Amino acid sequence: MSHTIPRFSGFGLGLRKEHYAAFLGENQPVDFVEVISENFMACGGRPLHTLEAVRARHPVILHGVSMSLGSAHGLNRDYLAELKALAQRIDPLWVSDHLCWTGTSSHNSHDLLPLPYTEEALDRFAANLNFAQDVLERPLLVENPSSYVGFASSTLSEWEFLAELTRRTGCYLLLDVNNIYVSSVNHGYDPLAFLAGIPVDRVRQIHLAGHSQGPEGMLIDTHDAPVRDEVWALYARAVERFGPCATMIERDDDIPPLEDLLAELDQARQLASAGVAA
Amino acid sequence: MTLLAEQTHFLAEIAADDDAPPSSIGMGIYRNAYRARLIGALESGYERTRRWVGDDAFEAAAAHYILTQPPHSWTLDAFGAQFPEVLAELFAGDPEVAELAWLEWQMQQAFGAVDLPELGAAQLGSAGLDESDWENLRFTMAAGFTAREVSHDLSGLWAQLREDTAHQAENPARADYALIVWRRAMQPHFRLLELAEFSALSHLINGATLGQTGTALEQVGSDPAQLGQWLATWLGEGLFAAYSIAA
Repeated sequence: MSHTIPRFSGFGLGLRKEHYAAFLGENQPVDFVEVISENFMACGGRPLHTLEAVRARHPVILHGVSMSLGSAHGLNRDYLAELKALAQRIDPLWVSDHLCWTGTSSHNSHDLLPLPYTEEALDRFAANLNFAQDVLERPLLVENPSSYVGFASSTLSEWEFLAELTRRTGCYLLLDVNNIYVSSVNHGYDPLAFLAGIPVDRVRQIHLAGHSQGPEGMLIDTHDAPVRDEVWALYARAVERFGPCATMIERDDDIPPLEDLLAELDQARQLASAGVAA
Repeated sequence: MTLLAEQTHFLAEIAADDDAPPSSIGMGIYRNAYRARLIGALESGYERTRRWVGDDAFEAAAAHYILTQPPHSWTLDAFGAQFPEVLAELFAGDPEVAELAWLEWQMQQAFGAVDLPELGAAQLGSAGLDESDWENLRFTMAAGFTAREVSHDLSGLWAQLREDTAHQAENPARADYALIVWRRAMQPHFRLLELAEFSALSHLINGATLGQTGTALEQVGSDPAQLGQWLATWLGEGLFAAYSIAA
């Protein structure tokens, strides 16, 4: 098993079914695509054939939403076996999932649920992540989620939790800049403090997405709108700190024409270019 | 509170009904997201069923299902698997609802089913089988194959319930059929079968050899030559993935 993931400094999109035909029809100006792993696990037919055809043209990242790395119940071995089979078939740039839990052994929320940032949660998450990395025979990237509740029991900040996790497990990080912004508003912290607390050498990918206004001043990570100005500004600061790394527009709802997303990606390229040069 | 207790409590709160209001704005966001995601999964998985029963009845059935059959699989795609059974209870006087839902679910399962090869008549014909081999033939069914008996002719209803024509959909004729679903190449298919044909096919589905199937048909007075005609039809439709010869 390789314990390192080399840097890959390209610009990509999340591959969504609305754009399958465009990606199958001609080469698109992206350096990689990211797919939701679960959409292609334990299946065949047109979904898997589409992914393989796109993979023949572009590097692919497998991004999961169901590993439930923070689960107090441990991990689902059948899930890991299916993910490993897909990874062997697709040969992705890397495999990622979230700093969250999704359910218990008998009830799955299919949501990215928040963790208390405690020593107990850190021990459990690190144990689960080490187990997953051993099974998958590769280091994983862990993404910070948006969250809407905090826990009085937390003794660490989210960035302290992530930084310690990289030290204990050797994992890498997928920074979702929109999620940093959303959670900073919801929980009242400085997003720049988040960036400053993240170890530079562990970041391999950045997500950019849109959010919506929720109740009572809270923001919701809806992925149904263009990237907002505040997030672009935070992305510029992230590029200054972390340097070139894979950057992606993540859109999951109200999917616009591909041209619109490619235009957003060009905006990311320009900001990154200016940030790296600064 | 331990992490395990915290997570158990958290999940129970977001999955609860409105008799227990969420404890915070944030928990309300998680509860709304939980419901919206699950209802969305049912709506996208059962578009034709929704058009047939109407939005209000569908939403009520979905809300009942979410509370009584919470998701347990790692994949959201599996969430609606028991919905046809629940619809059979909720629409006990309209059995075509559950039958339509079953068909809709199985067509989607077939669409993404794990790939299998297709056994063609030419491949079987050129396999050099002698008479004994033919007697001992067993078949593996095609990708996504499944079958059940139904009490309505759903083929017309299925076509009518496209988005643009659903308002013209008429009650399906009541009759006893079987319904088979399978995928050929990339495309899921279904077909209604008369029960006599389904009886024969069921023997092969359940692992009987061709010879055993022929004997079973003779015992109920069927014409043995009919099995050959059906076999040609099934091979032409791509219902089989492979064959083996029983020892």
